[in-house]
Amino acid sequence: MAEERYQRLTRDRSEGFIPVGVVTVTRSSLWLGSDHLLLVRRNGYTESYKRFYFRDIQAIILRGTRTRAIWNGIFGSLAGILLVIALSTVDRKDSTSLIIWGCVLLAVCGIPILFNTLSGPACTGYIKTAVQTEQITSLRRVRQSHKALGKIRKRIVEVQGQLSAEEVSARLREAAEDQAVPERTAVPPAIPPPIS
Amino acid sequence: MSPLISCPKCHASLLDGVFNRPGLAPCPTCAAPLQVEVFPALFRKAAVGETGQPVLVEGESGCFFHPQKKAVVPCSSCGRFLCALCDCEFAGQHFCPACLAAGKSRGKISALTSERADWGSIALSLAILPILTVFLTMVTAPMTVFVCLRYWNAPRSLVRQSRFRLVLALLIALLEIAGWVLVFVMAPGGRR
Repeated sequence: MAEERYQRLTRDRSEGFIPVGVVTVTRSSLWLGSDHLLLVRRNGYTESYKRFYFRDIQAIILRGTRTRAIWNGIFGSLAGILLVIALSTVDRKDSTSLIIWGCVLLAVCGIPILFNTLSGPACTGYIKTAVQTEQITSLRRVRQSHKALGKIRKRIVEVQGQLSAEEVSARLREAAEDQAVPERTAVPPAIPPPIS
Repeated sequence: MSPLISCPKCHASLLDGVFNRPGLAPCPTCAAPLQVEVFPALFRKAAVGETGQPVLVEGESGCFFHPQKKAVVPCSSCGRFLCALCDCEFAGQHFCPACLAAGKSRGKISALTSERADWGSIALSLAILPILTVFLTMVTAPMTVFVCLRYWNAPRSLVRQSRFRLVLALLIALLEIAGWVLVFVMAPGGRR
């Protein structure tokens, strides 16, 4: 059987808060196949795969997170500490030292803050099927996730069709009412009399 | 199974306001920004599995595993006749349970592959990391060559299918071996 070609949707991202991956940290990425999504997890020197067929995907959820603000806070605090150190140790008349400290601050804190801010709001993704809800940690930024979601949605709609927002709300309400009715009308099972 | 969608943060059921919208909308319970794309599969009833019909006519083909049940399809791999219960339809083909399990364990059905070793990365690490200690490359360089040749035709990653890392590792290892040969040749007491 010929191996399938996949299109990359997200880059390798570590599964966890720490963005810098080392060989022991699991990194995951999402790929688009002809009839399924492939979640690739790389752990050291082994890759494991999980497939989500388009016909089985019930929902894709994106949840906004505060990761961007947290990292900006961390780098901002680091910049503050470095600035205090610079101001307390450097002679303000020594322009060379000031320039060096300025470059250090920019490289260590300024560029990461700028990059983090320009990347846009952070998020995390989930794929829901009938048997699982899998978190997709490589969907890290809203802008990137929207691009990936656009490609995925197109393929899923080709297989399953599409529902409008109003249709979804109406069907979910019906389903919620159907589940509530059996609970209200359920009759407890009769307990047989003890054997004398 | 309940078709309801829950907020991934507060796990409250979502009934309105966040489905199939173009951007993030707040969860009605915890206000977490959410974007939920729902597809018709959520409301599809689960298909009921078939158990296989009994053989009614004398001489009718029966299932290899259930001779009393009518055969409906042959296995694409071994050719055994299968009833509706034994038929495992996968990737557009029909398999018996034994062939499906064998296909997965032997890696013959790539659509069932759930794990693969990344020999390219292993070889590249074996070639590059020992450079930090220098002397260790005397041992690891031949090992790298062995790994590259031994696993040259091994199944590669499903998503990175080029042999670039194996080729690079092999080149680096050969350079290391050449380097050590030069060192021994140029060493005092050796041939100049």
